[in-house]
Amino acid sequence: MSSSSIDKAALAHLAKLARIELDAAEEERLLADLGNILEHFKVLAELDTSDVLPMAGGTDLMNVLRNDDARENTDRGDGVEAFPKSQDGYLKVPSVFDR
Amino acid sequence: MDTPNTLTIKDFHKRLLNKEFSAREAADACFKEIAARDGDIGAYLSIAEDSAREAADAVDNAVAKGDPLGALAGVPLGIKDAILVKGLPATAASKVLEHYVASYDATAIKKLKDERAVFLGKANMDEFAMGSSNENSAFKPVRNPHDLTRVPGGSSGGSAAAVAADMAVATLGSDTFGSIRIPAAFCGVVGLKPTYGAVSRAGLIAMTSSLDQIGPITKTVEDSAILFKAIAGADPQDATSANAPRAGVPQERAMKDFTIGLPEEYFVGGLAPLVERETEAAIARLTKLGARFKKVSLPHTKYAVPAYYLSMPAEVSSNLARFDGIRYGGDRPEDARNLMEVYLKTRAKFGAEAKRRIILGTFVLSSGYYDAYYEKAQRVRTLVKQDFDNAFEDVDVMLTPVSPTPAFTLGEKSADPLAMYLSDVFTGPANLAGVCAIALPTKPGTARAEGELPVGFQLIGKKWHEDDLFAIGSRYENDMA
Repeated sequence: MSSSSIDKAALAHLAKLARIELDAAEEERLLADLGNILEHFKVLAELDTSDVLPMAGGTDLMNVLRNDDARENTDRGDGVEAFPKSQDGYLKVPSVFDR
Repeated sequence: MDTPNTLTIKDFHKRLLNKEFSAREAADACFKEIAARDGDIGAYLSIAEDSAREAADAVDNAVAKGDPLGALAGVPLGIKDAILVKGLPATAASKVLEHYVASYDATAIKKLKDERAVFLGKANMDEFAMGSSNENSAFKPVRNPHDLTRVPGGSSGGSAAAVAADMAVATLGSDTFGSIRIPAAFCGVVGLKPTYGAVSRAGLIAMTSSLDQIGPITKTVEDSAILFKAIAGADPQDATSANAPRAGVPQERAMKDFTIGLPEEYFVGGLAPLVERETEAAIARLTKLGARFKKVSLPHTKYAVPAYYLSMPAEVSSNLARFDGIRYGGDRPEDARNLMEVYLKTRAKFGAEAKRRIILGTFVLSSGYYDAYYEKAQRVRTLVKQDFDNAFEDVDVMLTPVSPTPAFTLGEKSADPLAMYLSDVFTGPANLAGVCAIALPTKPGTARAEGELPVGFQLIGKKWHEDDLFAIGSRYENDMA
């Protein structure tokens, strides 16, 4: 297995991708925890898995298709009601660009 | 007379129909117990007195009219807060969902509403089902009803504690790597992790979609079977769900027809003396009842936890990406100047374990590491599953401990995520393999010495063979009674 450490710059990049802001204490804690976890779980490298197919799901089902029937999809009223701000049945969200 | 909250589902039904109490009185008995004890235990995040009483009154009207009622009619249930009940909060014990109210019912809940069950409230848990001790709830930890200095296990800790403390007749939890079975064992109750696909996950807030299953936590194995059968079945809303291919096959097997495997990798030392002693006693009792035991091998056992903790975070990082401060109600930060700030301020509210898993998941999925970590872990998952396929050639079920220790004290493992991860070593492989497994107490509370903690043992069955677990478990339980 390749390098199993995450350095400070890599962590900052991952946090940015995950849209999570970390303070200095969280950063330090995460660097230590992730280092430990990856180090401990390096044990997987000792297994030869070149002839083993990856198992991505928990089921043997294939091609699960629903009937192609027209139907009411969701109750828009409940979804809109649960939303903090709405107007005329539309959802109001913050602006994408700086105000 | 026993108050209704202390009864099993089976006795509850009989006495309800006999009019020994009303469904309304039963719900109130639970709320009374919650008021008396839950301040110390913390099993519930919210209670739903009005809707519960309304549902109970409807059942009482049906009883008065002599309408036919199923075994779950009027039965007061607690529901893990990751499972959606329309009109009730569903926080998954996270600040990110603090003000979210479910706008629809999970399929399992719909089925229970058809059975006219009564929902008391939403049970505490580890945030987004991430944890083995229930210390990761963003709101409050759950304490073990048998010893308030100890954890109830996690992540469905509130669901297990509520049953153990008679604050519900039964509950639903969810299990990704042991989250039903560990708390059931720590609290001295019965917890079933059904076969992957047996119960629809529609309306379960997803943690690891390739492993998550909803299942019952109950006082007896018989109750587990009743509740499981009510929530099982294929659902168009969950493409991984299916009907049991064995449905309708008579499963009346004598104990002597069962060969039970003992996986040698699960008995290699490191067990707490109490767990070792109780597991041996359970094996001896089943032998006396006629079961045959046989040693089997699951050679990739030690790789199961690493494979899980390198693949699960990938699914977590993807599943938790949807919590963006826009969807799922409430708390949009008012001071955000743009969309990016909405994301960042919202996601800052994830707890430490959620952040750890999201970051680790982002890492294992990133270019250059995907093959070494994520895909490698998935290949190892195949090997773990093949171990089970091979072992089940020789035996019908397997018996193992649930956890290497009984309930530990609060704070004992919470500082070290790795130590916490390793407490799932006996439960997780069944999830990776997709098979069913049940945790049940080695002995009832009345047979435990003063101050002795509950210990559970685990029966692991073949896919779709929940009936085998129920058959063996209920005979064991009846023999102990």
